[in-house]
Amino acid sequence: MGSMRRPAAPPISGKNCDDPVLDYKDTENLRRFLTAHGQILSRKRTGYCTQCQKQLKQAVKRARHLALLPFVG
Amino acid sequence: MTQTYEGMFLLDNQVVREDWKKAKSIVTDALKKHGAKIVCARRWDERRLAYTIRRRRRATYCLTFYEMGNEGITALRRDLELNENVLRYLILACETVPAGEVELSAAEESADFSVPAPPPDDAVDAPPHVRRREEGAEAEGEPAEAAEGELEEGARAGHERPARAAAPAPASAPAPATEA
Repeated sequence: MGSMRRPAAPPISGKNCDDPVLDYKDTENLRRFLTAHGQILSRKRTGYCTQCQKQLKQAVKRARHLALLPFVG
Repeated sequence: MTQTYEGMFLLDNQVVREDWKKAKSIVTDALKKHGAKIVCARRWDERRLAYTIRRRRRATYCLTFYEMGNEGITALRRDLELNENVLRYLILACETVPAGEVELSAAEESADFSVPAPPPDDAVDAPPHVRRREEGAEAEGEPAEAAEGELEEGARAGHERPARAAAPAPASAPAPATEA
């Protein structure tokens, strides 16, 4: 029997992450990488490499500190 | 050794409403006090906060770029923590000042620049215990008689739990000492 896994959704960042500029002030862009509850999406969903995912994490955490993004949705 | 820093400061709207220059000087004075050379400082935005900070729903962001030695950062942080008008701050070391920042800051200095007044709905939320007390006072103040009447009716109808006879708890007798 074949597995019933749903095909993975395409990554949000595009095919390659290509050194994105993730700024904590650009909340509209950062919101694309958050769930409805404000959690950071996994690397699988964002399509980012390790370094870019770390940049994303840092930017979201800075934005949360300044109350630009919520900690919990 | 001097380093360029980016500082984002979250200012209380009550101060901003009085005068933006005064509000900005809170930040710039604190920076100058610790030997910073301010490259640019401008109003970034006025926003509704994602969560309340010190019971404020809205605040104004002030973005600054400045050059400073690393020895004054700790004292600067302490000053900012103690300042009640600075709700939050974020200090980051950066390579260079982004293009266009100096121009935007200079435009703010011009005479025809006016800061839009913050919307009035940044009202300070009362802390939960005060809110509960106020709500309780309102509920008691208006229908006090009605509430009493209801209570009496309830008592007559037998809804009220009958007061239990306060039976004294049986004193536990000490265990008889067993003879060895």
